[in-house]
Order: sequence, then C-alpha cells, then structure tokens
Amino acid sequence: MSVTREDVLRIAQLAELEVDEDSLPTLVEQMSRILDYVAQLSAATGNNGLRPFVPGPDAIRFRPDEENPWPLAVGPDELAPVFKGGFFVVPKLDQFE
Amino acid sequence: MTGEGKSAADRLVKVKRLNALLTPVKELRKSLNEQASAARPTGVLYGMPVAVKDNICTLEFTTTCGSKILDGYRSPYEATAITKLKAAGALIAGKTNCDEFAMGSSTEHSAYGRSIHPIDKTRVPGGSSGGSAALVAAGAVPAALGSETGGSVRQPASFCGVVGIKPTYGRVSRYGLVAFGSSLDQIGALGRSVHDAARVLSVISGRDPKDATCEDRDPLRLPTVPESLQGFVIGLPREYFPTDLDPAVRRACDRAIRLMKEQGAAVREVSLPHTQYAVPTYYVIAPAEASSNLARFDGVRYGPRAEDAGDVRALYRKTRGEGFGAEVRRRILVGTYVLSAGYYEAYYRRAQQMRALIAQDFRNAFDRGVDLLFTPTTPTPAFKAGEKLADPVSMYLSDIFTVTANLAGLPAISVPIGRVKGLPVGGQFIGQAFLEDEMLEAAYALERVVPATEEA
Repeated sequence: MSVTREDVLRIAQLAELEVDEDSLPTLVEQMSRILDYVAQLSAATGNNGLRPFVPGPDAIRFRPDEENPWPLAVGPDELAPVFKGGFFVVPKLDQFE
Repeated sequence: MTGEGKSAADRLVKVKRLNALLTPVKELRKSLNEQASAARPTGVLYGMPVAVKDNICTLEFTTTCGSKILDGYRSPYEATAITKLKAAGALIAGKTNCDEFAMGSSTEHSAYGRSIHPIDKTRVPGGSSGGSAALVAAGAVPAALGSETGGSVRQPASFCGVVGIKPTYGRVSRYGLVAFGSSLDQIGALGRSVHDAARVLSVISGRDPKDATCEDRDPLRLPTVPESLQGFVIGLPREYFPTDLDPAVRRACDRAIRLMKEQGAAVREVSLPHTQYAVPTYYVIAPAEASSNLARFDGVRYGPRAEDAGDVRALYRKTRGEGFGAEVRRRILVGTYVLSAGYYEAYYRRAQQMRALIAQDFRNAFDRGVDLLFTPTTPTPAFKAGEKLADPVSMYLSDIFTVTANLAGLPAISVPIGRVKGLPVGGQFIGQAFLEDEMLEAAYALERVVPATEEA
C-alpha cells in the first residue's frame, strides 16, 4: 500500500472533502492502486533535465485593459444558496487551523 | 418553423429509455418552440437540433455536469460555443447525460444514472460524453456537443458508431465549459456523419476574446470531399496495434487500412515510443488540475449547500463530501496528493516531462513525412455496464489510444469502421496541430468507402 488511512484523511482535509469511515478502506486501497500505477513515471523519466510540457499558445495574449462587462442573466442573489445585502452568507469561522 | 422544434422534441422523447437526456420533456418542448421561432433563417445550421453535454453552460437549461453538487444550477451566462451555434440558426436540443464533471468512460459516474447503449442495453455508451453519443446514434439529433479531456468525445463516438471530433487545443473557445483539466479540455462535436460533426465544429471554432487559451485564428474552413487519398501518407503507430489487441478490432482496422490504400494513400509504420506512459501521465495531470478546478464547488457561491454544518470549513467539507460522487472524490484526492508538498516533483513534474516526450514522439512522426496517424479508437467495443466499476485503473485503460492526442494538444477524429458481433468499432485519425482540414479530408474519404455497419 503506498498510502495509509492517515494519508487519505490528511489529504481529504487539504482538499476540504469529508470522507466517511465506511468508504475509507476502499479509498485507501483504490488510491494506493492508482498511485502505484502512475509511479512508473518516476522510473521512466529519470533525473534528467527535461523541460516540462507547456500547453497552448506560445505567448500569452493580452487584451486591452478596459472594463468590458459581460452581463449575467441572473445575479449571485439567485445563484447562491444564501446571499444577503450584497454578500455571500456563510457560517462563522470557528477557529484558524 | 415551430414544426422543426416540435419534430426535434418528438425524436428526443422517443429515445427517453436511453437516459441520455437530462432536460425534462416539457421544458425541452417549450424551449425548442421558442428557439425555433427566434432562429435566424440565414444561419448555416438553420433548424439543426444540437444536443449539448451538461458541462457546457446554457441559459435555456440547467447545467449540472452530471453532479449532485450542481443540482438545479442555472448558469448566469452561456458558453461561446452555444452563442455561436445559436447565431448559426441551430436549436439547442437539451442537455445530455455525462460522467460527473466529465470524469469517466461509461456515464456510470453520472449522479443521474447511466445512459444506455442504443444497440445493447446491457452495455455502456462510453463516456464521458456518452449521452451525446447515444442520442446521435439513436437518430434523435444529427449532431451534439461533447467535451474532451482524455477521449471523452471519441471513445463514446466509437462505442456508439458515430463520428466524434476533438479539435486542436485552442481551436474552440472554452468560455462556459466547466473546467476539469484546463491544459487538456476542449469542446468537441459528435455527428451522424463526418460532415455533420465537421459543420458543427466549424461553427463553434475561432477566436474568442473571452478565452485567452483560444488561438487568434479564423473559424475552421471545411474541406471538400476528396476524390481519393492520393498523396496522403498515413502512419500506423505500432504501439497502437499491440499483439493482444482485440482480434475483431484489428480486423476492422486492417480492412480500413486496405481500403485507404486502395484509395491511393501511402501507408507507413511509425513508432511513438512513449505511448505506454500516456495513461499514467494523464492520470497525474488530469486529477491534479481537477483538484484545483473543482475547489470552487463549496456550497457558498452556487449549487446546493449541506445543512447543519457548524463552521465554514465544516460547510465546505460536508457540501463537497455529500455533493461529489465516488470517482470525482477519488480524483480530487489523487490530485491533491500529487500536488502536495514533497510529492509534486515525484509525480506532477515527472508527468509534465513525460508529456513533453509524448508530444515530441508525434512531432518526430510528422517530421518524417507522415500527414496523419491512423489507429483504433478504443482497444475493445463497448463494455458491459458494471464491468470496470470496481477497478478504476482498468476503466482508465479504455482511454489508452485517445489520451495521447489530448496530452499533445492534437486534433483527432473517430470514424465508425465496422461492427463486431453487432457492436460498432471506431478508427481514429490523429492530425497535426491546426490541420483539422487535412484530417477531415481523410475521414471523408474513409467514411465513403468503409462498410461501417458490416461485421469486420
């Protein structure tokens, strides 16, 4: 196994994802299998100074720096689960971690 | 004119059993009626119903990406591809089922149930654009939009016996396509024929100030159907014809190759030596980018929110834990892992280096005078539902012949080339960047001579 139960829980916390106890054993097993499978890349590329791939146009295209609003059909007040007085409403932050 | 909207809706309702369309029938009828009255009669796609994968934003219908986390979500803007289709007179014929956030190869990862293969109900239509492929194959629409990150247009097109095109990275604007793997994603077109898919692609292609990754180029001009394949040099990458390839898939490919030779094409074996690393490379890069892109679904800005979460972080975790399905959760976790401190070098950087080698393989082949590559689209015909669900890696391997074009940013097309025990088999052309016209010419020529509905 390349990842442990604790690894999965730590990663889930980083990803802000709740993982229930029942699905943990399967997740550990499947993540290990996936990570073992992709680990073959390490052996294949070695430690050479290959340049990583960069997708898309050779240079970034800039557009004129002017305000160009594309109007939205509905505002955040209709989209968001809770929206009040121009703000997204969320429960308070309990503590800083 | 409302007749066109009505008949399009009638055809879509008839294939309801496929679970390929997510839009409720009543809503679809109403919208098609309105769209048909408003459509511009001068457009090149006037009256053509085009179904749209549910990860492309539309104003007419909800955009759920096949996920519970966007259940009922109505986008406040529409994708540039949709605006262009409507300007050309096309009718947006509802939203199609797909694997959640386009992560999957079977539609079994949709929160709204899997779609059914139109020929064999025990099988999957492929994915992730499986709903689009199934609707086109069933004759409900002449064309549909899908999206590709690793083969999600070509693989279902191959499984369902229709044409699927993935354009060059940067050919089509992605404004309004819900992001999955941003260095790989492209909107693609599916059609009953090469011409139907190509017409749609031509309309949606071209520059867009709203997407900086979209190249500053004119829309794709459609080639004429060539009289022969004289002058074409077609490369057969030996890594795509392994000894354990399904014998019937090989027979179908051999027949297509013979027919292309008879049309005057020169055929040459080539090698793309890093092909075996394409799937592991993809399954590092795509989850890494997905884990970042999907961070925005948190129950605050859109979609439903989990109830009774204590503080704000609990709200994020609960909403995401309840809203995402198993495959998406798995990929977010893998992606977060490979990007986390200490692992970035070992996984993500290595994958990007391998990606450079894979892209170089293609350049080498094209530099040696090959115009196009021809390969099977998938290693097997459509597989049975449930067959690959328990083992994610075996599901990932069904993309083995398609992911390379995404990694290298190249255009590719799947064309039906025969049947195996009644199930369609697709052949794939991979072209050079921004030379879709050449690739389409070859596809037109092959389509004209290949007995696509006969056993290979």
